[in-house]
Amino acid sequence: MSPQPITDSKQGVVLGQARTNGGMSQIEIEARDFNFFYDNGGFKALKDINLRMPRHQVTALIGPSGCGKSTFLRAINRMHDQTPGTVTQGELLFEGEDINRAEDLIVLRRKIGMIFQRPNPFPMSIFDNVAYGLRLEAQGVRKSEINDRVEQALRDAYLWDEVKDKLRHSGLALSGGQQQRLCIARAIAVKPEVLLMDEPCAALDPIATLAIEELINELVKNYTIVIVTHNMQQAARVSQYTAFFTTDDSRTGQLVEFGHTTDIFTNPKDSRTEDYITGRFG
Amino acid sequence: MASQGLDGGRPLNEVFTGRATRSLRRARIVDRFATGLMWAAALMLVAVLFAVIASLLIAGIPAFSPEFLFTPGTFTNPGIGPQIWCTFYVLFLTLLIVVPIGTGAAVYMSEYARPGKLTNIIRFSTESLASVPSIVYGVFGSIVFLVMMGLGYSILSGSLTLALLNLPLMVRVAEDAIRSVPGSYREASLALAGSKWETTRKVVLPAALPGLLTAIVLTAGRIIGETAPLILTMGTTISPNAYYSLNPLSTGETLAVHIWVIKIIGLPGVPNSQAAADGSAAVLLLMVLVINIFVAYFNTRLERRLRGAAPPPRAGGSKKVGT
Repeated sequence: MSPQPITDSKQGVVLGQARTNGGMSQIEIEARDFNFFYDNGGFKALKDINLRMPRHQVTALIGPSGCGKSTFLRAINRMHDQTPGTVTQGELLFEGEDINRAEDLIVLRRKIGMIFQRPNPFPMSIFDNVAYGLRLEAQGVRKSEINDRVEQALRDAYLWDEVKDKLRHSGLALSGGQQQRLCIARAIAVKPEVLLMDEPCAALDPIATLAIEELINELVKNYTIVIVTHNMQQAARVSQYTAFFTTDDSRTGQLVEFGHTTDIFTNPKDSRTEDYITGRFG
Repeated sequence: MASQGLDGGRPLNEVFTGRATRSLRRARIVDRFATGLMWAAALMLVAVLFAVIASLLIAGIPAFSPEFLFTPGTFTNPGIGPQIWCTFYVLFLTLLIVVPIGTGAAVYMSEYARPGKLTNIIRFSTESLASVPSIVYGVFGSIVFLVMMGLGYSILSGSLTLALLNLPLMVRVAEDAIRSVPGSYREASLALAGSKWETTRKVVLPAALPGLLTAIVLTAGRIIGETAPLILTMGTTISPNAYYSLNPLSTGETLAVHIWVIKIIGLPGVPNSQAAADGSAAVLLLMVLVINIFVAYFNTRLERRLRGAAPPPRAGGSKKVGT
């Protein structure tokens, strides 16, 4: 990945341009009749989700509030295990293996990184934030490698030039957009295969948002990215595939339509998708 | 000079100085009254605190002398050297027991325990234990540590008793400190493939450190000031062959107990024993103040290092005074 400044990057603004890497790419994450419940089955949050997300592409999950898109995203790295009473049904596959059968969450999460809605750097120095994952038992990175890996991750997140002289300063002293890029650097330092992004720009201003979007367009060369967003323009700008979720009367989320972002935005098959993307509801 | 409104009409400030309605006037008066009341309460607190500190120091400092502070008491000199030593030793031993166990229990309660019956029972027991009078712990300690375990009147018996007495408070305050660490830190660590233990040790506990130090300071204050349970478990004298001793099985006497002894029994043969009590009280107060100031300073620096900025000003904007 070239460390050119992000402001020079001109790509990634073409509407829904599918990245070509040898025809229909390999499927990285796949949901088969996936159902999700909170409250020990008392509340059905997702119903019969069927979805195939290709490798090294950006898949955007869009839909109105409460449609279950974040729930789906967080099911991919089993963040729900933190919440008592969550139940899954059906299959959610990562590289062909059922995520919910994974015995070791640490192995799973090593391969699936996550970026959260609000930038959440640790109250540590910039360096220690990026090195955090590298120093974990599970990652098995040699001490001598850490300096180089931290620098590379910060370069890949286009943050290096801004922070190289203050690596010992607190990560919390950075601006919101820089904090989010720090979180991305922290996530990619451990070289996952997938990056899950839960509305990564929701707390950022438009300029910081643009920086993150351009970064996503770079990162997709090496990572499979799944991004939840409320911002339709953002979905159109950064993703190659889009999944539109909505809810029924019982507040259960379901997948309405999934396909190439171009098709979803220019030629939606379902009238509910059309209503949503044209702003008639949601 | 009145500034003009945008439309060039009436002066802008007239908009805000128009006649207030009756209810508005009343609201304003009540608001001022309430503000004054709170201010008076805060002022009273500060005044009381200063009165306590000033009167103790004025009464106690005249007794200070190298002989008083650093040598054992004799018939002519009411020295408190061994008592100061013993106070620190008991403080150290008790914290050695309370801090690891209390922090561990707090981590369990906040990070590991799933909400449910067992957790509720543990929490209820902890809160109940926190409200048991300290003399009851003294009686318990004298039964269990002195008689059943055969430790006799000793610094160890006293420290164990104080540890039991202070565990509930330590657990409670430490649990609050750990719970107040934002959940987003835990999520970030778990999402990076951190184990629960790594997350707790590398993220949660460091972030909770200022709160944990507060818990330790509160506990330390209580240990230094406790008398009744120590009288029942540690004794009220230090034998001359145990002066400045590290032997946990010798009897001991902390400064607080020493003050109690002087006030109730007096020092045999020493004419000015009341002055010795005042002096001991001043030393006790200074110890507590120094510990508090030291930890407050450390916390501020820690906060600045973690967050890269000065800590947010305390609510109300008034300066923190003393403890």
